[in-house]
Amino acid sequence: MPGPTIDLTIYDDEAALLAGLRRREPDACTCLIKRFAPLVYAQAIRLLGDADEAEGALQQTFIKACDKLDTYEGRSGLGSWLYRIATNEALMLLRQRLPRTTIDDVADAIQADEIPQHLTPWTLDPATAALNSELRANLEQALATLPETLRIVFVLRDIQGLSTEETAAALGLGESAVKVRLHRARLRLRELLSAYMREH
Amino acid sequence: MTCEELIAHLSSYIDHEMDADLVAEVQEHIAHCRNCRVVLDTTQRLIVLVHDEGRRIIPAGQRDALFDRLQQAFLSRPPASEADTTV
Repeated sequence: MPGPTIDLTIYDDEAALLAGLRRREPDACTCLIKRFAPLVYAQAIRLLGDADEAEGALQQTFIKACDKLDTYEGRSGLGSWLYRIATNEALMLLRQRLPRTTIDDVADAIQADEIPQHLTPWTLDPATAALNSELRANLEQALATLPETLRIVFVLRDIQGLSTEETAAALGLGESAVKVRLHRARLRLRELLSAYMREH
Repeated sequence: MTCEELIAHLSSYIDHEMDADLVAEVQEHIAHCRNCRVVLDTTQRLIVLVHDEGRRIIPAGQRDALFDRLQQAFLSRPPASEADTTV
């Protein structure tokens, strides 16, 4: 069934959208979803690594957001607010999953297979080059191959931009564990992507 | 500083979490070691690359079906309490 078609320009700024949401206008909810679901879903799937769980987190994020609208003070943008709710939802799911992941390869020291092997410079300048779909797919695939405990730290620190302290608090880890896991994740990803970069 | 030591400290250097004397040692090492220079440069490029990836959106093919399911879940959620419905 096709989704409802609405004119997104009805709510052309966040204040108008927020007012519509507070009046519980159905179009406002649709507009909120269409505008922010891609951002929220991308964050959820990066943290959870599973499309079904990410979709569950996405749904919960929007349902909780609309139920908490009265407490939203508008200090951060709606996108940042939703992003935070989504991160908390995903982290909650990850904590529920912990029994599955307590035994993994998270020795908090660099592993032998993380010692750099690819020593060819990358020609791509990420500051100016637009990400093409092939590179993006490679990046997502590389990210998905990281052990969960490394991936989560990497996503929160290097993609979401949380500080070491914030990441440690969110995950209930010590700051030194966050630093070592981030470092290991970077080394692994660099290695994985270097194989692709060498050919492009 | 050896190559192994540099690799162990690489993220601390990138994240500016290193003492000044160690920073000097890293800089002296990479000035002379081509391999470590490559590892440092490519790791920094990776970080910039993934930071931009944070603004990625869902491919169009997946988006519509996902929105439909989200919309359905949203519309079929339990009704809000009286307190929530006041304007």
